[in-house]
Amino acid sequence: MAISAAGIIFSSLNNNTLSRLTTDRTVAAIPFACRYRLVDFCLSNLVNANISNIYIVANYSYRSLVEHIGSGKDWDLARREGGITMISPFQTSYASSSPKLFSTHMEALRSMKEYINELKEDYVVLMDADNVVNIDLENVIKTHEQTGAEITFVTAAIPETYTSKTPRMMVSSVADKITDIAMSASYNVKNPELSLNIFVMKTHSLRTIIEEAEAYSLDSLTKLFLANYKSSNYRAYRHDGYVASVSSFLDYYKHSIALAKNPEARDSLLWKKGFPIFTKVHNSAPTVHTATAVVENSVIADECFIEGTVINSVIFRGVHIGKGTVVKDSVLFHGTYVEDNVELNCIVTDKDVHITSGAKLSGNENMPFYVQKKRKI
Amino acid sequence: MYCKKECIAMLLAGGQGSRLYDLTKQTAKPAVTFAGKYKIIDFPLSNCINSSIDTVGVLTQYQPLALNEYLGNGAPWDLDRSRGGLTVLPPYQGSKRSDWYKGTANAIYQNINFIKQYNPDYVLILSGDHIYKMDYLKMLEQHKATGAACTVATITVPMEEASRFGICNTNPDGSIYEFEEKPKNPKNNQASMGIYIFTTKKLIEYLEADEEDEKSSNDFGKNIIPNFLNNGEKLFSYKFDGYWKDVGTISSLWESNMDLIGQTPVLDIQDNHFRIFSRNTARPPQIHGKNSSAKNSLISEGCKIYGTVENSVLSGGVVVEEGAIVRDSVIMEDVVIKSGARVFTSIIDSDATVGEGATVGTENAGKDKITVIAKGTEIAPGATVQD
Repeated sequence: MAISAAGIIFSSLNNNTLSRLTTDRTVAAIPFACRYRLVDFCLSNLVNANISNIYIVANYSYRSLVEHIGSGKDWDLARREGGITMISPFQTSYASSSPKLFSTHMEALRSMKEYINELKEDYVVLMDADNVVNIDLENVIKTHEQTGAEITFVTAAIPETYTSKTPRMMVSSVADKITDIAMSASYNVKNPELSLNIFVMKTHSLRTIIEEAEAYSLDSLTKLFLANYKSSNYRAYRHDGYVASVSSFLDYYKHSIALAKNPEARDSLLWKKGFPIFTKVHNSAPTVHTATAVVENSVIADECFIEGTVINSVIFRGVHIGKGTVVKDSVLFHGTYVEDNVELNCIVTDKDVHITSGAKLSGNENMPFYVQKKRKI
Repeated sequence: MYCKKECIAMLLAGGQGSRLYDLTKQTAKPAVTFAGKYKIIDFPLSNCINSSIDTVGVLTQYQPLALNEYLGNGAPWDLDRSRGGLTVLPPYQGSKRSDWYKGTANAIYQNINFIKQYNPDYVLILSGDHIYKMDYLKMLEQHKATGAACTVATITVPMEEASRFGICNTNPDGSIYEFEEKPKNPKNNQASMGIYIFTTKKLIEYLEADEEDEKSSNDFGKNIIPNFLNNGEKLFSYKFDGYWKDVGTISSLWESNMDLIGQTPVLDIQDNHFRIFSRNTARPPQIHGKNSSAKNSLISEGCKIYGTVENSVLSGGVVVEEGAIVRDSVIMEDVVIKSGARVFTSIIDSDATVGEGATVGTENAGKDKITVIAKGTEIAPGATVQD
């Protein structure tokens, strides 16, 4: 029987460390892997599990997200019933002290309590947009049913690229039963695993959690987990596929380059059989490679015009690479125009950057150089 | 309830395209893949929407399954409208008669009621097998200015090829005094593009008369246009000077694909001033492996290139494995070229597999010796297939 579940995606509630990429966009709208935005992975994971009633929670700079999602048609989510509902910023009395926008998962959940009370689905999947995975959620929910867990936490091995500067939820478990939770990077739990912040629970459990949080004035989901895990049946579901956990700009860069260089990463995220990633479609023409083009170990979107050399790079839609130009270990966002005889090394250009002839820009693989939107160099 | 439209388009998409052989065995010609991610019919449909014509009847007959699925509700071309939009018009059973479309004119005749419900002043007749970008509004403006009953779009073709086309002989003011279908000794090289604008009243009048004529083959070029001339109706030619190609043969389909590549391609598919729309699929970006090479080519999303691609057009999801070579070829969706295989001067239809070390086509064969591989064909490892 088909599973009956709703999805709630949180865009940028726990992430202030991506500053450069999020100056004018919410985390879910960060471009990734040539033609996607982070939210595409969440939406596709849900849609591939036949979940079609989806709420997206975003508090700041969500305009590009709204534009990207449109009617939801591109994810087959323009439905008469269900589809995508944006939970937009809400000046709420649930938020602590003076009126402000919700800033934690729990505040957001409390602000959308009416929606949650009306859900007809048996299960809910909560997920953050900043852990990019391609996961079989149907299997996660089935496992959840079988184990009788109250909440299933999807976890993964801590990635090599993980830098301890950003706090992430870590869990440890014995025979999949969660025995410890820590909200820190210092690994003060045994055999820590990274929580991907994908939580599966019964809808009525979520309602109970919200009531409990209201009763005890808890403003954070993590605090509630920490208070309850010892007495509750919280279980871990280990995801073995590639995880692009985008908790910092450097993470973002490293995972992007991994897509170009590491076939396992891109096969796991983008080419998983039966699990396509959907995105807003643009009517872009195919990419032109001219007689002088050299492209190696790279992923390239549509409508690019390539006359130069591209190595170990991620090239978004509509990028122009001029003659004699060499682009290495770089990520060039949509509409980047690189003239002739330019050298780019470890560079991330935001949308519509223009780099003029003869320029030489170089970052370092541990400190990539970022060029902001519409900048001309 | 149908609102009036000034001009509606009727797109003839029922042709078999028998000269495309294997490529149209299971697919109508308008649904044949072109330029990587497009179908031939994307061109006239995009031309319509780019010319603000939002009501298009698509007449289908031959192998319509793939075509109908592709057209859907017309959304990719912004033609999913509550008033007008795209309507697929197959032959149907009527209370008095039921017939296949006997000819181009008969196909329109059978759908006169579709035309009448929009009460248009003008009807644009298009065919679904030409590659070109054209603003039909300019043609309509001329049609209105000259007060013609019918305007025929024409294109200059090389004199030596003129005898393959319908040739319009015109007066200095552009009015047509003679129309010759495939003349042995053409008087000039202004060929009809098979695109007509009719003043609706006249069109209906002549279609009805043509239907009464039992000797008629119910064809625009052979019957309707000559009848207009014989009766002294005002006929004008509209000279079009952009890119136009009838892709009705294997060599012209291949040539037209080759026109898309190069430093300054003859047909620039990336030119966004007049965008061509198509139904998009969710495919990942294209991937280029280590030691791969892609030069002078047009490559679509979802391709995985680990070998060498030169002077070719690749549709979505094509895999070129290590050591494989693809040169001067058109490769359609999801074809797999296994390692060490070599493909020269070929058109390979979708879902085919070229086995390890196999050879398809002849090196530098040119347009008259194109090897065609049918949809889903599996070529054994080491085999050689040449036309």
